[in-house]
Amino acid sequence: MYQNDMTRKEIEFALAERSKEDERTLRGLENCDRRNFLRVSLKFAGMAAAASIIQPHTFQLVNVVHAAEDGAQPELAFRFAYVSDTHLYARGMTHRFAKAALKAVEDVNALDPQPDFVLFGGDLAQLGRPDELALGQQILKELKAPVRMMVGEHDWYLDLGEKWKEMFGPDFYSFDYKGIHFVTLNSVVEKDFWTAKGYTPEQRMAIVSGLDDNRQSPFEVGEPQRQWLSKDLAKIDKKTPIVVFSHSPLYKLYKNWNFWTDDAEQVQQILQPFETVSVIHGHTHQLLTHRIGNIHFHGMLSTAWPWPYAPEGLPELTVQMSRSDPFNQLDGCGNGTIDVRKNGRVDKRYNLWTRNPRVVTASELASGSLTGLGGYKGPSY
Amino acid sequence: MISFRVRTSARWVCAAALLLASNAQATDLELPVPEGVFPPEIPAENQLTREKVDLGRTLYFDTRLSTDGTVGCVTCHDPRSGFADGRRKPTSAGVGGAVGARNAPTVLNAAFLASQFWDGRAATLEEQAVQPLINSIEHGFADKDAVVARIRELPEYAPLFEKAFGGPEITIERAGQAIASFERTLISLDAPIDRFLKGDTAALSEPARRGWELFNGKARCNTCHGHVDVLPLFTDDDFHNIGVGIAGIDFDTIARKAVDAVVAGASIDELAISNEKASALGRFLVTREPRHMGAFKTSQLRNIALTAPYMHDGSEATLADVIEYYDIGGNPNAYLDGGMRPLGLTAQEKADLVALLESFTSDDLERFEDLKKLAP
Amino acid sequence: MNVKLILAALMLGAIGLTYFFMDRSPALERARRAEVGAEDEWASRTVWACDRRKMVIVEGVRSDEKIPPARAQQVADVLQDLMRYCNEEITARISTDARITIAANGKVYEHYVVGGPLPIVKARFGDPTEREKKIWKAELDKLVTEGDRLFHSDELGTNGVACAMCHPNAANTHPETYPKFQTQLKEVALLRDMVNWCILNPLEGKQLDHADPRMKALEAYMLAARAGKALEAGKH
Repeated sequence: MYQNDMTRKEIEFALAERSKEDERTLRGLENCDRRNFLRVSLKFAGMAAAASIIQPHTFQLVNVVHAAEDGAQPELAFRFAYVSDTHLYARGMTHRFAKAALKAVEDVNALDPQPDFVLFGGDLAQLGRPDELALGQQILKELKAPVRMMVGEHDWYLDLGEKWKEMFGPDFYSFDYKGIHFVTLNSVVEKDFWTAKGYTPEQRMAIVSGLDDNRQSPFEVGEPQRQWLSKDLAKIDKKTPIVVFSHSPLYKLYKNWNFWTDDAEQVQQILQPFETVSVIHGHTHQLLTHRIGNIHFHGMLSTAWPWPYAPEGLPELTVQMSRSDPFNQLDGCGNGTIDVRKNGRVDKRYNLWTRNPRVVTASELASGSLTGLGGYKGPSY
Repeated sequence: MISFRVRTSARWVCAAALLLASNAQATDLELPVPEGVFPPEIPAENQLTREKVDLGRTLYFDTRLSTDGTVGCVTCHDPRSGFADGRRKPTSAGVGGAVGARNAPTVLNAAFLASQFWDGRAATLEEQAVQPLINSIEHGFADKDAVVARIRELPEYAPLFEKAFGGPEITIERAGQAIASFERTLISLDAPIDRFLKGDTAALSEPARRGWELFNGKARCNTCHGHVDVLPLFTDDDFHNIGVGIAGIDFDTIARKAVDAVVAGASIDELAISNEKASALGRFLVTREPRHMGAFKTSQLRNIALTAPYMHDGSEATLADVIEYYDIGGNPNAYLDGGMRPLGLTAQEKADLVALLESFTSDDLERFEDLKKLAP
Repeated sequence: MNVKLILAALMLGAIGLTYFFMDRSPALERARRAEVGAEDEWASRTVWACDRRKMVIVEGVRSDEKIPPARAQQVADVLQDLMRYCNEEITARISTDARITIAANGKVYEHYVVGGPLPIVKARFGDPTEREKKIWKAELDKLVTEGDRLFHSDELGTNGVACAMCHPNAANTHPETYPKFQTQLKEVALLRDMVNWCILNPLEGKQLDHADPRMKALEAYMLAARAGKALEAGKH
């Protein structure tokens, strides 16, 4: 008989802010046999995790997969992992950013079973230098699973993508995999701000690398790529699930820090007709969740450092991670996996180093049940 | 059997007489807590009384409270060794010489800690005291009833329990409360470092003073082992994986097995002491939170020079070894605390840190001389 | 019934007396009149400004007479003008030939003109000129800009990490919450203590002296970025 390891007090607290339906779910945990526990705890684990009220029983995640076989939620189709925002300096393998990137690679290599592929989420280099990109390539080569690359602004603005394209191929492309249509965008295009001012490439890169440096332009996808996207998606059935890889969030959160895509509405318009769309984005270095219509947005963690939450514009659905501890270079950082379900929806797992992992499931996003969780508010920044 | 009891009874009579005669007792109900320091938390249901302390002390030193009569609390928490294990082996041993997986920490000043055991599985001294009694490696009793049965066999306890609890009933919980009460009197917060921090610069040697600068600076000790005036224990009461004893440990596999075992009813206490692999999981075994994988309590540092060897598995023999361990940044493992990193200390700096740690030894330990006489 | 009336009367009387004596003690008033040379109490009328600090003595009007409109307007103009000098105690005397004498700060100024400058301004510390304010702001901006530069550069550390990497726009620095117990330091810290800790630890650099111009610049930048936030010492 599995035991519920939550105290009565913790359950009461959780219940105090829950809806009637949630109440029933939680009460179900108190006296149940194995089958019920697994089925019921799946939902609770997600909720509790999202609310960050009670840390989930770690191996509930293992049990969650088993529960899927019981028919509790859509079956897992496949899983891919991500490593993102490594921001490497070319200062050898013992530099803290290199060590962190290697740790992420080791984590992914330790996954059993191995993920189908690994997404690199952008910002491989810190200052776009060839030696930084080379170091990144060397580190990512250690991954056992195949790697899909995505570009970030830190990779691009020293030479406007020349080295990147030479090393890693096109900066935007699409591919089909196990019934899902994947699109990778270069969503860090910026209107030319450097020619008029006569900036050197290094100066341009230094400006873009400053998150709060407003001399740069807002990110956008841009007209040429939007046209390409329309054409690419024209051949795809509206029922086919779409997963978009993008460095900038493809919505507008906080312009000051380029947590922003200037032509977000137009891009969303192209994606809207599809029934199931998920956007996986980098750049924000934090737990970030959003939904606009039928499009789900999930941010990726960085391996190098966490950003604070923006003073305004935070989507309501986001359950924040709490402030990170500067003593601990891994705190607030990590990597993660994305479970793609048979119905094309994705569950996002944040593998936070030094903290308990957090899973944000598609069903919670779709039902909006995260907002129902009494608006958990993190600290103000 | 009978002669066994008579022999040891005589010792107890002597001990009782000794203590009645001595003045400098560590059993004053006024706990010797210096001004400005938070007193130890005492649970409401176990208010401190002289009678409880006397009973607790008697239980603490009684090796008959074990299946083969060789193990008492004193065996691993010996006043002659800073209230830690005098065996000086990496880990402690119990009945029949059975060796466990963990290195017994000191009882001195343990009353101030937020939790007990390396993995914090006991919230109070009361909860801690009873677990070794029913651990197969330590005192060896099969269950609570066996412990109570043994105490009942020893006639001197009935009146002691009566006096301490106002009734004749002997339970393991009461035994725990008495032992905890005695342990609460084992307080000593008067060391050179304390005088130094109050303004007496001469209280520390020059190397120790340099060590203090390093402790709070380059060596990065203070974030986990920091000193605060109101609780000067040099611990953050938190749990960190610093990579001790992870060689050959596949955390994920062992963790899954251990969780299955615990969920099926296995005792965490038993797993932690008797199973080396499960023991390496540390706090994870207790909370089952991934962030606690391989994490152990930040040791308090008072009297640390007296309680070698060091770490939860006793793998560092001397203080110099401990400093060396931190200097290299600990053993890399998937769950290593991100605060660990190579420090780049010079030989002089390492020696200075050792000198500093030696200044954490209390000056007033002769208060416990009488207790040393009670040790077998 | 009677008791109530008596009590009410006593209360009103008390209030009235307080009011009367507050700023209008006869001796005080006479002293101020003497300052501006308005000795003759019979042939003048006193008007007080609402701050109870500025008074205008109008000569040629009996104390029980109404002030003619033109002169009343003059009184109002003078009082309004004198209100520029907040918190100052100023006495003005308008003579029958419309000359205005001012007494302020223990000094007497003849020939005061409404709207004109008073020498007392230049002697007061808390009231800077526009020109002074410009100078002060330029100097502050210089320091804040230098702090901004340092904050975003990698020169304080040895590993390429900049303060702005965890603190864009000085977000999450919370300078307004110091002093507070800083858990990384295990003691109560001021902002500069934490800056130094960050330089040593995440940035792996050499700590700065508290009086180092770079430290001052960094603090200036952070405080400027968080200007307007309420002080909350001890808040974590």
